[in-house]
Amino acid sequence: MINLDGVGMRYPTGVVALQDVSLRIDRGEFVFLVGPTGSGKSTVLKLIQRIERATTGRVEVDGLDLCSLPDSQVPFLRRGLGVVFQEFKLLSDRSVADNVAFALRVTETDPTEISPRVRWALETVGMAHRADDLPARLSGGEQQRVCLARAIVARPRTVLADEPTGNLDPEAAWEIMQLLGAINLRGTTVLMTTHNSTLVDVLRRRVVELQAGRVMRDESRGLYQTAR
Amino acid sequence: MVRARGWSWARREALRDAIGGLRRNGLMAAAATTTIAIALMVAGGGILASFNLAHLASVLESQVEIVGLFRRDFTPQQQQRVLAAAKDLPGVRSAELVGRGEALKRLQKTYGSFGSIGSHLKTNPLPDSIEVRAGGVGQVRAVAAALERIAGVEEVLHGTPVVDRLVALTRAVRITGAAAAAALFAAALLIVLNTIRLTIAARRQEIEIMTSVGATPGFIRGPFVLEGVLQGAAAALAATVVLTGAYAYLAVQITGSLPFLPLLPPGAALPGALAVVWFLGIAVGIAGSEIGMRRYLRT
Repeated sequence: MINLDGVGMRYPTGVVALQDVSLRIDRGEFVFLVGPTGSGKSTVLKLIQRIERATTGRVEVDGLDLCSLPDSQVPFLRRGLGVVFQEFKLLSDRSVADNVAFALRVTETDPTEISPRVRWALETVGMAHRADDLPARLSGGEQQRVCLARAIVARPRTVLADEPTGNLDPEAAWEIMQLLGAINLRGTTVLMTTHNSTLVDVLRRRVVELQAGRVMRDESRGLYQTAR
Repeated sequence: MVRARGWSWARREALRDAIGGLRRNGLMAAAATTTIAIALMVAGGGILASFNLAHLASVLESQVEIVGLFRRDFTPQQQQRVLAAAKDLPGVRSAELVGRGEALKRLQKTYGSFGSIGSHLKTNPLPDSIEVRAGGVGQVRAVAAALERIAGVEEVLHGTPVVDRLVALTRAVRITGAAAAAALFAAALLIVLNTIRLTIAARRQEIEIMTSVGATPGFIRGPFVLEGVLQGAAAALAATVVLTGAYAYLAVQITGSLPFLPLLPPGAALPGALAVVWFLGIAVGIAGSEIGMRRYLRT
């Protein structure tokens, strides 16, 4: 469960990114976080990963108070979160399988578990047949699927997807959405920021809209934009 | 509280990643290692020179003796009386008479490699003499002055001014050597720092992913610090090979051509100097990596 309670966030530069944001996301939910650029969507994701600390209010993830969480425990918080980036961030000199295994290897997973879990993650996203290829040989959609496999390989409770379809054509974007939906059906919470109105409008999931750092609306089966 | 897996596992992984990192960034790593090696060679050479100057000073200090040259018409009985008087002087440790024949033999021994001195001389030009050793270097001047006052002693020679100058030179070399070593250490540190920064910049995405998936700072830092250690050790090894070879060669050459110069044998001079070289090499590697990584590991 993710809980933001009266959260405010001001960067050292003086920019106010969030103001009095309260938001509760239960286990297993699928939530679209929408809003214009600079509205505070990415800051919410950063607060949940404890990349940033809230300047006011309280942020809780799976019962942990992130404001008082010691720095030494932050890596272990992040092991419960899978992150998907807009720009994929795959290591170009390593194969697809090595990229996925990387997330397990650097988090000190039992070496005997790595291979079967990588296979499972790649099968889940339909990329097992490209396990030995380098990322450069893959299309954008395929690269994002590998990124998704890396995000889920440690079986996190929550997947945070920051504009995962931003660099993809519509067909690849739909494939990614189907995969995120499938992952969500297995009980994983999905929080996704997006500017893709079509996806939001067709899927009709919970939509939280931010504007100028404030929650403007929170609808259980929302559209990208309300009729105005 | 959650804890990471065992240290031995982490070390093994870090070593694997460090070797992988060096392989992937081979050219940059080679440049850094070569630079550190050159700095270490210069520093090691300075240390060896300093050791030898200190050794030379202590040898000369221990050998400082006062030589009183007798008048040519002085009889052996008169010389014996002077010997007895010299032994009674305050600050004298020992005294002995040296005949002119013995003095020539000693001269021949010292300059043995220059051929036979006797074959170039018709007569022995050296006078009979008395050799006096003082209890300490500080007493040499007083003993020499007292010896000069004894009748029949024509001239008194002692090496105190030379030793004084050598001690001053040794001190100067030590100070400038330490300053040069510190400057070289700082330069090597900056070079390693810069190289590791470039390496890290090239691998920033890797670090970002590690951070986002929950790798601990120690796990992320480990391979980079080990890379620094391996580079420092490789540089120290290269410096060890060059310094050992060069010192052994020079020791043979100098001992052959300047036999009166007391040079430390390789077995006595090299271990201490090389220990400093290895310490500096590895310290530069670790410090460079630690400082280079710091900015990327803020939670």
